[in-house]
Amino acid sequence: MNKSVERTPTDWNGAAMRRRIRRRYAAERRFRLLGLGAILVSAGFLAFLLVTMLGNGIGGFVSEDGGIDWNFLTGSDATDPAEVGIWGAFKGSLLTMIVTLALAFPIGVLSAVYLEEYARRNRWTDMIEVSINNLAAVPSIIFGLLGLAVFLNVMHLPRSAPLVGGLTLALMTMPVIVIAGRNAIKSVPPSIRDAALGVGASRIQVVFHHVLPLALPGILTGTIIGMARALGETAPLLMIGMRAFVATPPDGFDDPASVLPVQIFLWSDEVSRGFVEKTSAAIIVLLVFLLAMNGIAIYLRNKFERRW
Amino acid sequence: MSKTNPKMTARNVSVFYGDKKAVDDVSIDVGREHVTAFIGPSGCGKSTFLRAFNRMNDTIANARVEGRIELDGEDVYASKMDVVQLRARVGMVFQKPNPFPKSIYENVAYGPRIHGLAAGKAEMDEIVERSLKRAGLWEEVKDRLAESGTALSGGQQQRLCIARAIAVDPEVILMDEPASALDPIATAKIEELIHELRGRYAIVIVTHNMQQAARVSQRTAFFHLGSLVEYGDTTEIFTNPKATRTKDYITGRYG
Repeated sequence: MNKSVERTPTDWNGAAMRRRIRRRYAAERRFRLLGLGAILVSAGFLAFLLVTMLGNGIGGFVSEDGGIDWNFLTGSDATDPAEVGIWGAFKGSLLTMIVTLALAFPIGVLSAVYLEEYARRNRWTDMIEVSINNLAAVPSIIFGLLGLAVFLNVMHLPRSAPLVGGLTLALMTMPVIVIAGRNAIKSVPPSIRDAALGVGASRIQVVFHHVLPLALPGILTGTIIGMARALGETAPLLMIGMRAFVATPPDGFDDPASVLPVQIFLWSDEVSRGFVEKTSAAIIVLLVFLLAMNGIAIYLRNKFERRW
Repeated sequence: MSKTNPKMTARNVSVFYGDKKAVDDVSIDVGREHVTAFIGPSGCGKSTFLRAFNRMNDTIANARVEGRIELDGEDVYASKMDVVQLRARVGMVFQKPNPFPKSIYENVAYGPRIHGLAAGKAEMDEIVERSLKRAGLWEEVKDRLAESGTALSGGQQQRLCIARAIAVDPEVILMDEPASALDPIATAKIEELIHELRGRYAIVIVTHNMQQAARVSQRTAFFHLGSLVEYGDTTEIFTNPKATRTKDYITGRYG
């Protein structure tokens, strides 16, 4: 023990200390105001969008005699804005999303499981990982061109069909699901894997009995983000011919169809005044579709959420 | 070795992590009706060596095991050895209690279910009850088997993990510092439990708590820097150690 230098006791009430405390409180206040401002700006834009959409679009749901315009809710595209309906595009979107989900979800999840649980770390898997990350960032129009080249020109699938749209969007959504899935699988604690292996579970049992159920909430979150993006996607669908004028709702996956965002794009381009209202109304329908999808995702996530 | 017909034997076993040698040329016999303790300072390779007995090191990329480990004379690392069956026969309890985030019942029933050990619900109920009783947990949880295993206290969770391990009726139970995350009362319960389980299962316990090794084991192996320094009867090791390194460790010079 060496003798320490004599020190004056800290003066907790001195002027310097008080100044310091004041500065700290001021910094807290500044940060809170800044954060509040940021939220207000984004919420303000959202509110502006909603209000103008509702203001412009609500008339689209109302018929001339003041009741609900059933024609709009059950019909398809037409040349006269008073005749158009959203059902055709809605059904087209629905069919397209079904194809996308049916392909992108299982393939994406299986790829994530394979890469995380089975693949050895080497040059090949590193390369695959980099490619997947890059793929998730490729502009959607490129996927549209790819879909045009492969599905239409090589495989001769029907033009303008939800099947091809879904396939193209699945290509785009898959990398997002793979990345989200891998992160979710990574976050399952290794102790759970040890526990299952320790009682003699095989690797596939470990994955399907323990890892996937625990990773499911995260996987679902990623899936819904990817699906929401796919739902709003326009550019790649224009490339595969989903911009055609389709006057009847699609009857199946290989029937010519339109989808909501493309329909919005087409109507917004029309010169006739009546289409302004219909465009806004279609946007409302698209937003409701999105909200419903997100709602289902949140419900599923809460249902499967477990703590450990 | 003094005892004949050991349950498990290790001969010239070395374990590598990449280029690093974590366990160096260890040979040991694990007795049928003994509790065998592996003691030694942190990082001496005792846990790594333990995990070689049921091939848990297989799950670690770039881990490599050399030498020969036998279970009843069968080579554990032979290509015809089924790892899944091996791990059912050689169960494991981990350092940190790791119950599945499922019900208490499901935690215990999981092993028997995947190995098809119960013919029906009644038989499964019986296995669950017997396992929980043997793990000394039945009285505390019998009215709330449907509750989550993770809602139990730390000590209860660890006994649940022991119940889970014995539910598949293993021949050997490996315990990797099973009480190091528990308070003294929970630790005492685990030690009591080890006493009761002895004879029915061959038990190997890794611990860095020397008093614990002295209390629960009949045979003790002292590891230092990846090699086996001394192996013998627990009383012998603690009262009359042959190697100076053992003596220094036991008397608290380092560790």
